[in-house]
Amino acid sequence: MTGHHVIVRGAAKRFGALEVLRGVDLDVPAGTFTVLLGPSGSGKSTLLRSIAGVERLDGGSIHFGTTPVSDHRTHAKPEKRALAMVFQDYALWPHMTVRQNVGYALRRLHLARREGARRVESVLERVGLGAKSTSYPHELSGGQQQRVALARAIVSEPELILFDEPLSNLDADLREHLRLEIATLTRETGATALYITHDQSEAFALADEVAILNGGSIEQRGSAEAIFRRPATPFVARFTGLAGSFQGTTASVRDGRAQVRVGENGLTASAGDGVNPGVAVEVMVRPTATRLEEVEGSGMRDGLRHRMPARIVDVAYRGRGYDHVVDTSHGLLTSVFDERAWSRGDECLVSIDPAGMIAFPTS
Amino acid sequence: MAIQSAPLRDQIRAEGRPGAELDVAISPRRRRPPRPRFNALTAFWLLIVAILILPIALFLAVAFSPALLSQGPDWLTLSAFSTALTGHLLLGFVNSLVIGIVTALASAIIGFALAWIVIRTDAPARGIWTGVVFALFLTPSYLIALGWERLLEPNGVLQTLGWDPTAARDVFYGPVGIVVVLTVKGIPFAYLAISNALRGLGHEYEDAVRVHGGGAIASMRVVVALLAPAIWAALAIVFAESVSDFGVASTLANDSHFTVATFELYTAVQAFPVQFPVASAISWVLLIFVVLALLAQSRALKGRSYRVLGGRSRRAIRRRLSAVEKVAVVIGMSLLVVIALGVPTFGAVSASLIDGLGSLAGTHAWTLANYARVITSPDLSAPLWYSMQAATIAASVTTVLAVVCARLLAAGRTNLSSRMLDMVLLAAVALPGIVFAAGYIFAYNLPLTNAMGIHLYGTTTLLVLAYIATALPSTSRLLVGSMSQIQDSMLHSSRVHGSGAIFAWLSIVLPVISRPLLNAWLLTFTATLLELPVSQLLAPPGQQPISVGITATLAKYDFGGGTAMEVLAILTALLVVLVATLIFRLATPRGWRTLGTAK
Repeated sequence: MTGHHVIVRGAAKRFGALEVLRGVDLDVPAGTFTVLLGPSGSGKSTLLRSIAGVERLDGGSIHFGTTPVSDHRTHAKPEKRALAMVFQDYALWPHMTVRQNVGYALRRLHLARREGARRVESVLERVGLGAKSTSYPHELSGGQQQRVALARAIVSEPELILFDEPLSNLDADLREHLRLEIATLTRETGATALYITHDQSEAFALADEVAILNGGSIEQRGSAEAIFRRPATPFVARFTGLAGSFQGTTASVRDGRAQVRVGENGLTASAGDGVNPGVAVEVMVRPTATRLEEVEGSGMRDGLRHRMPARIVDVAYRGRGYDHVVDTSHGLLTSVFDERAWSRGDECLVSIDPAGMIAFPTS
Repeated sequence: MAIQSAPLRDQIRAEGRPGAELDVAISPRRRRPPRPRFNALTAFWLLIVAILILPIALFLAVAFSPALLSQGPDWLTLSAFSTALTGHLLLGFVNSLVIGIVTALASAIIGFALAWIVIRTDAPARGIWTGVVFALFLTPSYLIALGWERLLEPNGVLQTLGWDPTAARDVFYGPVGIVVVLTVKGIPFAYLAISNALRGLGHEYEDAVRVHGGGAIASMRVVVALLAPAIWAALAIVFAESVSDFGVASTLANDSHFTVATFELYTAVQAFPVQFPVASAISWVLLIFVVLALLAQSRALKGRSYRVLGGRSRRAIRRRLSAVEKVAVVIGMSLLVVIALGVPTFGAVSASLIDGLGSLAGTHAWTLANYARVITSPDLSAPLWYSMQAATIAASVTTVLAVVCARLLAAGRTNLSSRMLDMVLLAAVALPGIVFAAGYIFAYNLPLTNAMGIHLYGTTTLLVLAYIATALPSTSRLLVGSMSQIQDSMLHSSRVHGSGAIFAWLSIVLPVISRPLLNAWLLTFTATLLELPVSQLLAPPGQQPISVGITATLAKYDFGGGTAMEVLAILTALLVVLVATLIFRLATPRGWRTLGTAK
């Protein structure tokens, strides 16, 4: 099985006065795992539900391969799209046992009863619920319910599996476990997967490709690494994690690098679109680019790294070390990691890697 | 159309990735002038207008404009109101008003006490008291009144047994008896309104009073204040139910010559010539009473509402009653059961077992002859069969329509159709049954209706339609809660996993609401089987619904036969409930039955 190749063109949808999708283009190649990442209200659920056929687009089209499933003439019913979906609230049917819930998805395959039962038992074993097949949903924990939903989604070996924030109702430990199960089991089926979430770390961990949705349009699409290293817009940079930002003015731009004057400091950052000499810019700093150093005996540069004097404002224990909030004279930086705890009020230097700084024109 | 992600499309083209060849220009949708379409929703609304809105609207309009509907010469007049508000008609309103207020207060106090005992104490036999409340809920007021009458009337059960009930009769036949019966009928409404609120009220509010220095009385005052919305709701509901009641009006009140408004309305419709404008004016005043009660409720609360139900509420603790308190509670509750159900049941059952009760003929001995007579005589058994058929059809159609209504209401208030339906059903719930019946007689007897080719007046079809119309508002309300609990994702999930719309509904929604559907059907069936006002006014010539059959037989002083019919009708209702519940239990999968039950 190769999975559907999902092609969305100019998808538009409004609810009353609210324009939820504004001409979205999206490609999900067959057999890949794509994550739609965006904040609440960005339109990701609506896009997913439109692909499922639960919502009808106002404009634009959706094709599975060369077959149109949604356009101004066509709206294939959800049951005709050969897909499966894992819902945020699981959407298990409370009057059916675990076995019946999972077996329901096999109806469209018209399998012999014995073959159907075999498949259900097999998939329940794979998600670790072989012993729970006669239980009802209300007799299961949240994690078990989500596993049933996952089993139901993969049992019929659909061409496309849609995931609507399936981990958002679970605690952190369970989330990590199930994330791994989703990634493994989905890839084993060979189906195309489209997964929506507002959690950047979940998206980066799961995806072959990430598409970032904001205000009903896709802002950037690419591998997780490419998006993190080279965000296309200030929104993408912020949404994928920042320690903070500084206001400055561009002194020069060369080979995609901008020299930016921030107060008395000269910083080097990747130049975003529209960054030209003399332009006021915001320099955005990734948390991973920062570290803390002692004040004594240090200069203002360490090889390529910049150093800025700062004071510790707050400290939070994170298990493998400590996140700090530091006050530079040009603004606060949060999530500055160090293995040891600094005390509140300590003077320090923040060392910043230029590879983790991106400049965008101030809007 | 502005496509913001056009650069992405260019990127796809540049990369020659699949899908680029499918890129098509998206033209704005062509707008066509909307064409009126006849769909299922339009058909549904036509039905709602025909059975709920039009009959009542036409009937209420005639009070102001008799000429509009060929009921008099005046196009705009208030003369019907001046007739309705003078003499014995005015007395009827005053009596109904006073009885409504006294009944509301008494029911609210007893309902509150009952709810407190059942929910907040470890009083013995709490299940029995709750069962009694539901039995009362299903028992029509005229049956309670008739039971009392059979005991106390001249040549009644007590007199036959050798006691002289004259003193008790003098007290009971009049406002006191009417208040007692209507209070008994009001208790279930008050109990349900208050107990639901009390159940959701966590114990932390009382704890807060106690830790800040308040005693038991101070803590009770806080509870009463927090329950104020429910108490006011109880007062308003019981008042509305009492002033609109026709069961007691046509039996005990009529027999004791005590004038109340609903019976005056009945008389106006039954008079010759028919006084529709006056009947309409009486209906307006009754409606104003109901609206005033609701306004008083909202004014008393001044928009306050206490949101006490939350996920963090602590479960209330049951107060452990002392032995003396337990005995007092059992005595008090037993007294209530005796007055509410015991006496009427004893009255009806004993009367049905005495030969020739109410007449000088007969042996006045204990016998089953009355039952044998009812079962073998076509005249006495036909009403029950007739009502069973009508109730089966009405309950089935009502349940189907109520599902549609509940679905529309559950869809939310954003949709115009559901907001309008909400208003119509709310208004219809407040409408007395007798007004409904009068509206039906009026609307379906109009020359205009006949000219339109609708000849329903005097037919069983119209009677069943009226049953459906009166039951639909409350049945819809009953199902809204269940329909609201069905998350859209359950249906969507079924669709994306391969089911068509109809199979998805049958395999997912139907099982989930199967128990509420059964309850709705049974409630409508039993209420319709024993229904009085609509039956009384709309029974077709030559056919008698059971309630009309009972009252007609009793009016002929055949007390044995009438009460035997009464007992058989109630037993039939209970049997249907039992059989339907048993079938549901045996025929449905376990998953259908375990929904909503605790672990």
